[in-house]
Amino acid sequence: MKSISLFLFFCFITSPVFAAMNHGGMIMDEKGMIMNHNPDKLPKDCKEISEDVNITIRGGHKFAKDFPGKMFTYDKRDWQVPPCARVNVTFINEDDIRHQFMIHGLPGYMYPKGMFTIELYGKGQKTGSFIVPSRDYTYYIHCEVSQHTEKGMKGQLKVGKGSGDLDSILGLSAPLTPDLYPINNTHYTWLALIFSIIIGAFLIRLLTGLFTSKHSEP
Amino acid sequence: MPNKLLYYRLIPVVFVLIALSIWLQPEFFQRAAGINLPNGQQPQLSQPLKVEKPCVDLHPEWRAAQVVDGVEISESLLCEPDNPYNIAAFVLGMNNISMRTLMSSRIAEDALIKSDDLDGDGDPDIIRIKLEVLELNGATPDSPGVFPTYDIAPGIQPGMWAFSPKLRGMSVKNFRSLKANAILRAPSPVIRVEQGDKVYITLENTHYFPHTLHFHGVDHAFKTSTGGDNDGVPVTGEKPVMPGATRTYELQPRHAGTMLYHCHVQTDKHLMMGLNGMFVVEENKPNNWVQTFNVGAGHVRHSSVAIKEKFDREYDLHYQSIDKNLAKTIQQSNDTREISKQMHRVYNMSESSENYFMLNGHSFPYTLRDALIIAKPDENIKLRVANTQHSNIAIHIHGHKATITNYDGVPVNPAAQITRDVYDLSAAQRVDLHLQTTNDGLHSYGEGVWLFHDHVEMGVANDGMSPGGNIALLVYESMLSEQGMPTVLREDALDDVMTNSYYAKQRPLWGKLEAGELAPDYLRIILFGLLIGLAIGLAIFIVRGLNKADS
Repeated sequence: MKSISLFLFFCFITSPVFAAMNHGGMIMDEKGMIMNHNPDKLPKDCKEISEDVNITIRGGHKFAKDFPGKMFTYDKRDWQVPPCARVNVTFINEDDIRHQFMIHGLPGYMYPKGMFTIELYGKGQKTGSFIVPSRDYTYYIHCEVSQHTEKGMKGQLKVGKGSGDLDSILGLSAPLTPDLYPINNTHYTWLALIFSIIIGAFLIRLLTGLFTSKHSEP
Repeated sequence: MPNKLLYYRLIPVVFVLIALSIWLQPEFFQRAAGINLPNGQQPQLSQPLKVEKPCVDLHPEWRAAQVVDGVEISESLLCEPDNPYNIAAFVLGMNNISMRTLMSSRIAEDALIKSDDLDGDGDPDIIRIKLEVLELNGATPDSPGVFPTYDIAPGIQPGMWAFSPKLRGMSVKNFRSLKANAILRAPSPVIRVEQGDKVYITLENTHYFPHTLHFHGVDHAFKTSTGGDNDGVPVTGEKPVMPGATRTYELQPRHAGTMLYHCHVQTDKHLMMGLNGMFVVEENKPNNWVQTFNVGAGHVRHSSVAIKEKFDREYDLHYQSIDKNLAKTIQQSNDTREISKQMHRVYNMSESSENYFMLNGHSFPYTLRDALIIAKPDENIKLRVANTQHSNIAIHIHGHKATITNYDGVPVNPAAQITRDVYDLSAAQRVDLHLQTTNDGLHSYGEGVWLFHDHVEMGVANDGMSPGGNIALLVYESMLSEQGMPTVLREDALDDVMTNSYYAKQRPLWGKLEAGELAPDYLRIILFGLLIGLAIGLAIFIVRGLNKADS
């Protein structure tokens, strides 16, 4: 009797843990979490939703294989949507480890800390929505798992025309603090330098020869 | 005059050209890669990649348990088991073996003489031992390499010394080979005698430097019976044994235990060069013919009577390290005065570091060939562990907790014995361990291929390249291949490390490519060159023009 009642008690206690929870802007279950899901609240500067944009973004180790020296990334790292669009993001994690789709810089009055996040604890997918304001701006997308951003998992979302490209996005922009690689100089490098110096010097002679001969004619 | 003005007007152009060239100056030696990182390039190997076989199965017939000249030699399933004829010779003495055994060993006939059963208990009690000093990977004036070669791990040949039983014949495998004969190896051999034996150990100094013998922890009088030096310390006793000379030391040890011996000349250097070994005194028992030498340490194939009563197997584990800078001092000259200067005066032990770490004369992966502990379930195994490095070792055996029964050859009160999984030994210390392979969740977690290694992490790398150092394995027989190698979870597991390029640090660890180098930016180099050339040409033109106008 005691064990049955304990069992029932635990069923009661633990059942909400398995079900999706929605509190404080978080929708959570055992597969992952969506933070600040917003399918309907309009930013102050938008009168209506201009367009529904569906984007599917995949994340994982395999997408980084085309980028030597990098480890994780998204399949596409550069997105563009019109102002006041409702962006429905389907984030697919192709790895067995944790990844995130995290976007920063959204208006803080409706997205606490200015963020919208989908986090997947392993392989799987989740869809969530957010509505972007009207100004032209480039929003920062990344995976905040330790070192994932730095080793490739970084992207950008341009609203309208955007506000330029962010740094160090694979295939798109150079890093702000780049690695320096040694240059494979051969004797041809130094020959090219010496010859071009000599040619430069002779060019002057050629130019001045023309110049002085023209002037000395009259 | 207007001509001169023209030249003055051109001077700023030179500066503009120089400024432009500085502004457009290319990166000559290193630069950023831009948006995409370089594609990578094949590693540059100093020699073609060669993958060695984990086991070169030279003497499979040596593995079985056998009787040679009446001496029982236990099974040794290692890839490189000890030569059973040598063992028979070391048990009986060179004066008591057959011609066949003598011819199958490379030991001198006077290297070990056993005679006189003084206490009448069926074993010899006067033991006369002769030791030589040998050099491995030393300099040679006849080639740029070293001679005779002894690889502690693939491609690693540090200069080393070792004591050795007096040998006969060539030091190399054959006269076309540069490789040291199997009996010429590190570490110095374990010497085993019986408690109460009258032991005469003669150092025959075959080396080019003076040396002595000092018995560390082994019961010996300060002077020999004739009043000679018996402690081996030149500052308190006689001059060291000079090259070509000999000296006999006398012992009659009253206490059994795991002890040491080493050279006491310039001890800091000579000990680290390898002139140190284990010295085991076995309990006095009837009919106790002990295996006087265990060349290369490791498995004892003919244990003493007392050990056989309590244990199923016995292993000598000798941990050593090498400072590559000290090792180099004997590889760079063939003038003994110069070698002595480099080793004893230029080299500074107080600035020493340790680079190579060996168990029984080999570093991983070569430890797999002859330094495995092989076990079966429910066995009692005796491990004698000695540390002759100058750093501490902290030995850990995966999956097992062994009991420390002796410190420095002295038994621990059984009630106070400690069972643990890390055994720390500072310089020159010894512990005896009782390893039980009983799968009870404490002493053993069951059968497996269990690593055992120093947990001072520099000790598990070869000059910083891991895995290496003193890593070895405790392997259960059920997981051992016919060639004495562990049956690990993947067949190619050792391919990465069994190469000539891995420890030379020339191969990427996981990927195939290095980040590599970038190509020179020729466009900018040529542009820069042209600008500099223009500036120089213009400067010359101005100087010459002004000179002309003046004249």
